[in-house]
Amino acid sequence: MSDTERPTDDGVPGTEDDEFEPVQVFPEAAEMDLRPGADDCYKCSTCDTNCPVAEVDDEFPGPKFQGPEQWRLKRQDDHDIDDSVMKCSNCMRCDSACPSEVPLSQMHNTARGEYVEENMSTFSREYLRNRLLANYRRLAPLAATFPRTANFVMGLSATKWIGEKVLGITSEREFPEFATETFREWWTKRGGAHVESDENRIAYFHGCYANYNTPEVAKALVRVYEHFGYEVMVPEQSCSGTPMFANGTLEDARRAAETNVEALAAALEDGADIVASCSSCSMSIRQEYPELFDFEDTAAVAENTWDAVEYLRVHEDLEGELAGTSVDSAAFAYHAPCHSRNQGLDGQTIELMSAIDGVEAHDVGDSCSGISGTYGWKAEHYETSMKIGEEMFEHMESAPAETGLTECPTCSMQMEHGTGYEIKHTLEVIEAALLEGDHDADRRGRQEAR
Amino acid sequence: MATDTEVLVLGGGSTGCGIARDLAMRGLEVTLVERGNLTDGTTGRMHGLLHSGGRYAVSDQASATECIEENEILREIAGHCVEETGGLFVQRPEDADDYFREKLEGCRDCGIPARVLSGREAREVEPYLADDVKRAIEVPDAAVDPFRLCVANAVDAENHGTRIETHAEVIDLLRDGDDIYGVEVRHDSGPGKRAHGVAGTTEEITADYVVNATGAWAGQIAALADLEIAVRPSKGVMTIMNVRQVDTVINRCRPKGDADIVVPHETTAILGTTDEEVSDPDDYPEEEWEVDEMIDTLSELVPILEEARTIRSFWGVRPLYEPPGTGTQDPTDITRDFFLLDHAERDGVSGLSSIVGGKLTTYRAMAEEISDHVCEKLGVTASCATADEPLPGSENIEALEAGMDDFGLRSPVARRSKQRLGSRAREVLETDAPNPVVCQCEGVTRAEIRDAIADSGSDLNAVRIRTRASMGNCQGGFCCGTMASELHPEYDEATVRSALDELVQERWKGQRHALWGEQLSQAMLNYALHATTMNRDRDPAGEEDASLEYDAFDGGRPAAEPRTDGGKHGRNASRDRGDH
Repeated sequence: MSDTERPTDDGVPGTEDDEFEPVQVFPEAAEMDLRPGADDCYKCSTCDTNCPVAEVDDEFPGPKFQGPEQWRLKRQDDHDIDDSVMKCSNCMRCDSACPSEVPLSQMHNTARGEYVEENMSTFSREYLRNRLLANYRRLAPLAATFPRTANFVMGLSATKWIGEKVLGITSEREFPEFATETFREWWTKRGGAHVESDENRIAYFHGCYANYNTPEVAKALVRVYEHFGYEVMVPEQSCSGTPMFANGTLEDARRAAETNVEALAAALEDGADIVASCSSCSMSIRQEYPELFDFEDTAAVAENTWDAVEYLRVHEDLEGELAGTSVDSAAFAYHAPCHSRNQGLDGQTIELMSAIDGVEAHDVGDSCSGISGTYGWKAEHYETSMKIGEEMFEHMESAPAETGLTECPTCSMQMEHGTGYEIKHTLEVIEAALLEGDHDADRRGRQEAR
Repeated sequence: MATDTEVLVLGGGSTGCGIARDLAMRGLEVTLVERGNLTDGTTGRMHGLLHSGGRYAVSDQASATECIEENEILREIAGHCVEETGGLFVQRPEDADDYFREKLEGCRDCGIPARVLSGREAREVEPYLADDVKRAIEVPDAAVDPFRLCVANAVDAENHGTRIETHAEVIDLLRDGDDIYGVEVRHDSGPGKRAHGVAGTTEEITADYVVNATGAWAGQIAALADLEIAVRPSKGVMTIMNVRQVDTVINRCRPKGDADIVVPHETTAILGTTDEEVSDPDDYPEEEWEVDEMIDTLSELVPILEEARTIRSFWGVRPLYEPPGTGTQDPTDITRDFFLLDHAERDGVSGLSSIVGGKLTTYRAMAEEISDHVCEKLGVTASCATADEPLPGSENIEALEAGMDDFGLRSPVARRSKQRLGSRAREVLETDAPNPVVCQCEGVTRAEIRDAIADSGSDLNAVRIRTRASMGNCQGGFCCGTMASELHPEYDEATVRSALDELVQERWKGQRHALWGEQLSQAMLNYALHATTMNRDRDPAGEEDASLEYDAFDGGRPAAEPRTDGGKHGRNASRDRGDH
């Protein structure tokens, strides 16, 4: 409402106001009115029974309260969001559990954004810690410049102690190691794409983790796509925003998303489709961007973004190509990440693996790993995170395999943390099957670097 | 059984309860009888608008002036019943400029603060307004909870010594020659708080003076003593939306017409209304087209309504009246003013006055005028204090709102509970016992339910109007049973069961006009829940006295996309089952 006192007797249609009363066309995400979304909820509570946090934490009221109930009880001027929203891990399982299309995670994301904006002091330890975790990418370039030093410092017990005491980051976990060469450094050194094609072109959204921590996954993607004759583009990119949604720092997420949408839309212009190797990155671009932001090309980018394996299954005969290939007796305990599950992709890895001779992949069930990105890194959520993960750990241990397999970087951290197994990405196994014995320079380079 | 009182008030709506409070505060001994629950008549069947007077600023400036005066008073004395939403009179491109100007001038003539907003500014206030709305007049309309308001008046009357008897139907007016000296009532379950299963009794209540405040039913009461009042009851439909599409009262700025208002009401929005004369206030058709037409027309102002979920519809009956010989044809044109009919002057029968017409916004002023009249008749000199004395729950509201205590409740639950209870919040919500949320839709806790039970006995509909429990999107599907179990162990199993039945029936009645799309899914889930957890699925059609009113069900709105074909063919499906 305008604060400007205006004479009440102008009696003239308001068209002239256009000149001086700018209206924000797209509301900030934290100001969105999602009450109409509560219309779809008939309170069946299926979301609550599928919520991994509610299962282990009696204090957490569950997604039905966090979403449709809380929104419905809200009035336009209310700004006090219940603090329990910070206990939501943003696994988004409620979205796929809901039989009635309630926009649960959108409600949680906006409520969390509003909570952080209105109720959390920007000087609080929690806020600083959450921003630090959510913006891990900002620290990563520094660490990547001096990876060995960074790995050494992060591994020091003193660093962990400070992390826990000062910032509330659990000291129970090992910080992920930074690669000595990032994917983008490798890509530049390699001279970019080795295949050029006007028909088959993909823009690769590698995200932060595959760039700074597991470049072998990103390299696998490049080699697999080139094997199928695709030209790979690696556009400029920022964090996908997933950790920022989860921490309610929607302004940070908006900035990151804007950069990504702009760069990815340009790639679309160049005739590329977008693929991501991280299931949370693809989830974010496909679902959360259009739910929370309204940049010019948001919808086009979302509609043309794929999970990297899904894309090949749809556009190429990936299963046929894998048939007859072999990998030396490899057994995997496979965990489908929640964010893959939400995209309907939870079955694909098991199916593909069964096509490869020598590979045995055992699905460890549909439980959540419990880490949900930055969630399990917070001292106050560590126990909840491990309780949620218990089922997965048990199933992994009883599966006849000593190596884990998943598409999500933070799930892989949790799997490793809970079992001590080495964890692979689906693309790495596909690469091994398709390109085994294919001693090109990239591959040698990678082996030497190890 | 016979009792005597100084003043007997008939009717437990806002007018009757307002009169009882006023007279009791003046020191008179008052008894009030009501056929059903408080608010069961017209009070509980209105759209919840606290008029600024803007609505009458062109057609009826006397009413408009009275509205703005009372609006300001009620904000003070009934703060916990009023939400200061503000209101807009919105002009669409096809609505006349002349009328817009007249409305604005009329508001100013009547002392109603009014300000013109451009279409853009109006949409900034209410983002779901149609893109093409031209401009709007902002007025101090507000939302009022008629249940809470009426109950608060009743409670305060009781605090001042009034005896209030609900479920006490007047079966006779006692007349001796040209004097009315009391009534005979039939108590549904004996006098006092209602308890199901207690045998009914009758009681003669004699009084020095009788006030007939039964609104649309005033003619029927008068007829008991062979008096005639030509009340012209007029029905209007109201539809409750599941969520608030607007947080401001939205009026269409055009001369008159049906379906021209959306009132944000607690967690919902209420669409209103129509105006059609009926012959019997207890028996009139409730028709599907009325609901459809209202949603369609209001969608012109707020397009999202077209697809939005409705949770129920209800009809109310206005107690319209005009002096004999006025002869207005269209009920829309009958004045909204109220009339005090002194039967001594009018019919030569002493001891009785009737009050007809009027509206909730001016209930207090009406009560004041009647009370003055009664005092004059009884030779009592005492002045009215109701404009200054806050109602229970509305004392020191500002202090309450500043208080940070959430009584251990999650923030939206605490916020809504405190708004409902006002200054009684601490008294009701502060408890060492576990205090779970019983009604999740409305955020009502066990403590609030128990407080209402203490006030109203085993009647769960009385608990409902005091707390809003079971008034949300599941319409009691999830909480009716839990509410009923709060009656135990004070009441036995049979009482609890019949109290539950009565509440479920009441909730079901209004949903029959909303069974398509999401609310149909809701009803199916409710059915399954009640069937599987309480074995309430005995097929009623299979019973001896099968009396399901299939024709009372709506077939669904053709414009809305049904979620399943069950919505489209609901009527046939139920018929099929019923034939077995």
